[in-house]
Amino acid sequence: MLSLRKLIVAAACTLAVSATADELGYPEKEELTFGFIKLTDMAPIAVAYENGYFEDEGLYVTIEAQANWKVLLDGVVTGRLDGAHMLAGQPIAATIGYGTKANIITPFSMDLNGNGITVSNDVWEKMKKHIPKQADGKPVHPIKADALKPVVEEIHAAGKPFNMGMVFPVSTHNYELRYWLAAGGLHPGYYAPHKGDTSGQLDADVLLSVTPPPQMPSTLEAGTISGYCVGEPWNQQAVFKGIGVPVVTDYEIWKNNPEKVFGITEEFAEKYPNTTIRLVRAMIRAAKWLDENDNANRPAAVKILSQSNYVGADYDVIANSMTGTFEYEKGDKRSVPDFNVFFRYNATFPYYSDAIWYLTQMRRWGQISEDKPDSWYKDIAAKVYRPDLYQKAAESLIEEKLVSASEFPDFATEDGFRPPQTHFIDNIVYDGKAPNAYINKFAIGLKKGDKL
Amino acid sequence: MNALIQRFTGAAESGESLPLQALAILKQVALPVLGIAAFLLLWGLLAKQVDTSLGSFPGPASVAEQVKNLYQEHVAERAKADAFYERQEKRNADRVAKDPNYVPKVRAYTGKETFLDQIGTSLVTVMSGFLLAASFAIPLGIAVGLSKPLNEAINPIIQIFKPVSPLAWLPLVTMVVSALYVSDDPFFAKSFVNSVITVMLCCIWPMVINTSIGVSSVNSDWVNVGKVLRLSPLKNIQKIVLPASIPAIFTGMRMSLGIAWMVLIAAEMLAQNPGLGKFIWDEFQNGSSSSLSRIMTAVLVIGVIGFLLDRGMLMIQRWVSWDKSQAAR
Amino acid sequence: MKSFLDISKIDVTFPTPKGEFTALKEVDLQIQKGEFVSLIGHSGCGKSTVLNVIAGLVQAKNGGVILNQREVNEPGPERAVVFQNHSLLPWLTAYQNVELAVKQVFGKSKSPAETKEWIEHNLKLVYMDHAMQKRPDEMSGGMKQRIGIARALAMQPEVLLMDEPFGALDALTRAHLQDSLMEIQDELKNTVVMITHDVDEAVLLSDRIVMMTNGPAATVGEILDVDLPRPRDRLALANDPHYNHLRSEVLTFLYEKQAKVQPVKAKKKPSVVSTNSHVA
Repeated sequence: MLSLRKLIVAAACTLAVSATADELGYPEKEELTFGFIKLTDMAPIAVAYENGYFEDEGLYVTIEAQANWKVLLDGVVTGRLDGAHMLAGQPIAATIGYGTKANIITPFSMDLNGNGITVSNDVWEKMKKHIPKQADGKPVHPIKADALKPVVEEIHAAGKPFNMGMVFPVSTHNYELRYWLAAGGLHPGYYAPHKGDTSGQLDADVLLSVTPPPQMPSTLEAGTISGYCVGEPWNQQAVFKGIGVPVVTDYEIWKNNPEKVFGITEEFAEKYPNTTIRLVRAMIRAAKWLDENDNANRPAAVKILSQSNYVGADYDVIANSMTGTFEYEKGDKRSVPDFNVFFRYNATFPYYSDAIWYLTQMRRWGQISEDKPDSWYKDIAAKVYRPDLYQKAAESLIEEKLVSASEFPDFATEDGFRPPQTHFIDNIVYDGKAPNAYINKFAIGLKKGDKL
Repeated sequence: MNALIQRFTGAAESGESLPLQALAILKQVALPVLGIAAFLLLWGLLAKQVDTSLGSFPGPASVAEQVKNLYQEHVAERAKADAFYERQEKRNADRVAKDPNYVPKVRAYTGKETFLDQIGTSLVTVMSGFLLAASFAIPLGIAVGLSKPLNEAINPIIQIFKPVSPLAWLPLVTMVVSALYVSDDPFFAKSFVNSVITVMLCCIWPMVINTSIGVSSVNSDWVNVGKVLRLSPLKNIQKIVLPASIPAIFTGMRMSLGIAWMVLIAAEMLAQNPGLGKFIWDEFQNGSSSSLSRIMTAVLVIGVIGFLLDRGMLMIQRWVSWDKSQAAR
Repeated sequence: MKSFLDISKIDVTFPTPKGEFTALKEVDLQIQKGEFVSLIGHSGCGKSTVLNVIAGLVQAKNGGVILNQREVNEPGPERAVVFQNHSLLPWLTAYQNVELAVKQVFGKSKSPAETKEWIEHNLKLVYMDHAMQKRPDEMSGGMKQRIGIARALAMQPEVLLMDEPFGALDALTRAHLQDSLMEIQDELKNTVVMITHDVDEAVLLSDRIVMMTNGPAATVGEILDVDLPRPRDRLALANDPHYNHLRSEVLTFLYEKQAKVQPVKAKKKPSVVSTNSHVA
């Protein structure tokens, strides 16, 4: 009698579990540690934590600030971190073995845009002369590196080098800064890893070096560099501190460019499939919340980010860019509603074409020292970017009616390539399906067949 | 306090007049107070003169405010932690209801470490590193002190490693720990192990050196007492060498603890290991308008804790050591 | 006749940067059981070295020491030493200092109660039973030296070696301790070798006084029999002509003859004065 009752209870339980957990089981690993660098674009992680989205998935997440991108990447590779806010180039570079070799994958893209290029007050004063003015006397945007070129030439004539900072050799910032400089006729220098030269300063007009994001303002203040490309709030911080002037945002260099990604090891995704899907679910919800109702939640998000354990900068500094404005020269505050995009325009979907763009830039500047066929670009992109994982997470959220299908690409037809993109500062069109042809379009940079 | 009472009663016995005693007490209390007051005043005045890109240098008032803020943050975080555990309990209960085979596990709060937590973390880390170092250094020091050949063999190594900065060790320690300390569910966090080992490597040397000097310079009469009594080597160490070297050992331990505390803060800063060093680094990176005053608060707290650690060691020394004159300072 | 303690022709050298330094040369001395012998000489003459050789703390280059038919080659409790600077262990109380010695010497052969009784007995012997729980730094120099003597006595040594035991004490304290020592000696009849540089002390306490020549290569100069009857009283002896004669003998040696190294030549026939002397 008793055993029969037990049996019934057990059966009922199995039924109940399978009803919810059939498509998505409980997480295999529940206690997770995620790393981040103090930048506003880590917001999806902070929001997923603070709004309880991680806990809703049964994930107990500890979020830890990391000293720099190298420490962060090593943390993920060694397993000290389960996942992290990463530069889009990091998983790609790790997979092709540029720098630390590791199989890092990206099931979730964290945001679009969000970076800026800032120059010191000195440089700005000299640049200003070469920038056309609007009717109201303010400079015409976007400001091109053409205006910086005479300044660099002047400094070179005085026998001094012109130094700028970026955050990591494979960072978005490095490629954006290079793109902007090269579009203005300034050579940012080649890498020659096959010869052991990873300084990226061969043939350079502008010498680029690595500085961790939060140290950018103080390094600029110290005079070690004359400008930098970095994410927020470190451009706005320069304005608040009165030590530099942001001249251009990456939105203006390449409209809606992919920026940070969430990186985990391939091993992690294989060992903990449910955990992987669940953490992507939590972050999709966080990203959606960040962009909801025309950025209505942004002030609340800024409040979270200004906590000392996240970004920790003053509310006002973070709010400047996060709430859709950007202050260039002090007082020259302009509306840039899409400065930080976390969800709109399928910002979180890991497009192969985004990965391929980074690969083209790695090839352009010599980090990839040899020609590769177009198929290689596609293969690498497919190895690193995992829209399949994203799709599972999104579909389960759609099923639970936490999000609607219209907010995502049409998974039935999506091939992972955005249509050819036109909004670059130099008007060159990018088609992810033809990377070699794209590389050949640039005046400055390695082309097919070039070898250093 | 004892000294004060003694002075008081002593004065009464010797028939000193009351105003004289009052003056003595006043001197003992008033001078340090005066010194601190003058420092605060000077600090307050000078701080305003220094203008950084994060505003003027924090004065005593802004530090006092941050002390209050940091405490309030601590209280708020505790409240969040309570809510976290409540939610977790509920979630576990729900899951058990659905899946009776599930054994619920209570996970520690995943929120940020408050300033007070970080003080605690640093203290635990420094004491662990220090005690670990002592457990190696004192036996090694005794061995080195007793054996001339061993001393001559080991001394060059000690002399070479002694001046090495923690920052130089840290990358090696980090790599070695991640290579050797592999466990799915480690009892100690890797960052903790890194900090502890770095602290140990830096604070082991003064203890080895002082212990060996103490042991090798034991009063020859006492050594002869041991010989005449034909004490076995072990008993000789236990009954003569060790007690005789206690003052020297403690001198080394106090030096080591001071070094350990300094090293730990640097290691935490560099390796981003939890603790006060990380607190300072994070605040520096945050670059908010309150960052400098928070860092200044941490600086003062580090100083006070360093002072208390030294006093604590002194008290233990007074309690343990027979040589009261050495422990007076 | 075999003596109880036989120091036969010992040479002691110490290595120095300038080569070997010969501290003692052919020191030869026979001591009978129960005899109280003083070694006197100017500082640096090697008196302490002789004592250390007997104690086993210093090894002789040539010659050797035989105590009770056994050769001495390492320190041991049967040759207890009272050091010049008391050498009490400062982290132990008076009781514990004696206890360390007693437990080491008698080990399991005494029950805890017996051990305790024996320690207290020895402390009583030196009139220190009231200060048993005091630590050395709470005691005066004289008290510390008394404890040092108690510790040595408690080992029940075959020979008691005293290295200028009262040298660091003031005159009054020294007199007290000398009296105590005589009293104890009357009772226990220990064999004692004492180093001193105090002529009165030597004459008052000893059965024989061994006068050492000056170093380097110090050796036994003369040996003086002190045939004063016991118990001796320092006040009575002060006016005793024989006492004064013995005293002046020592003084003459020290201040007139000490410059030259002289061969061993006994002033009188080296016979045993002590009434209770037997070869064991």
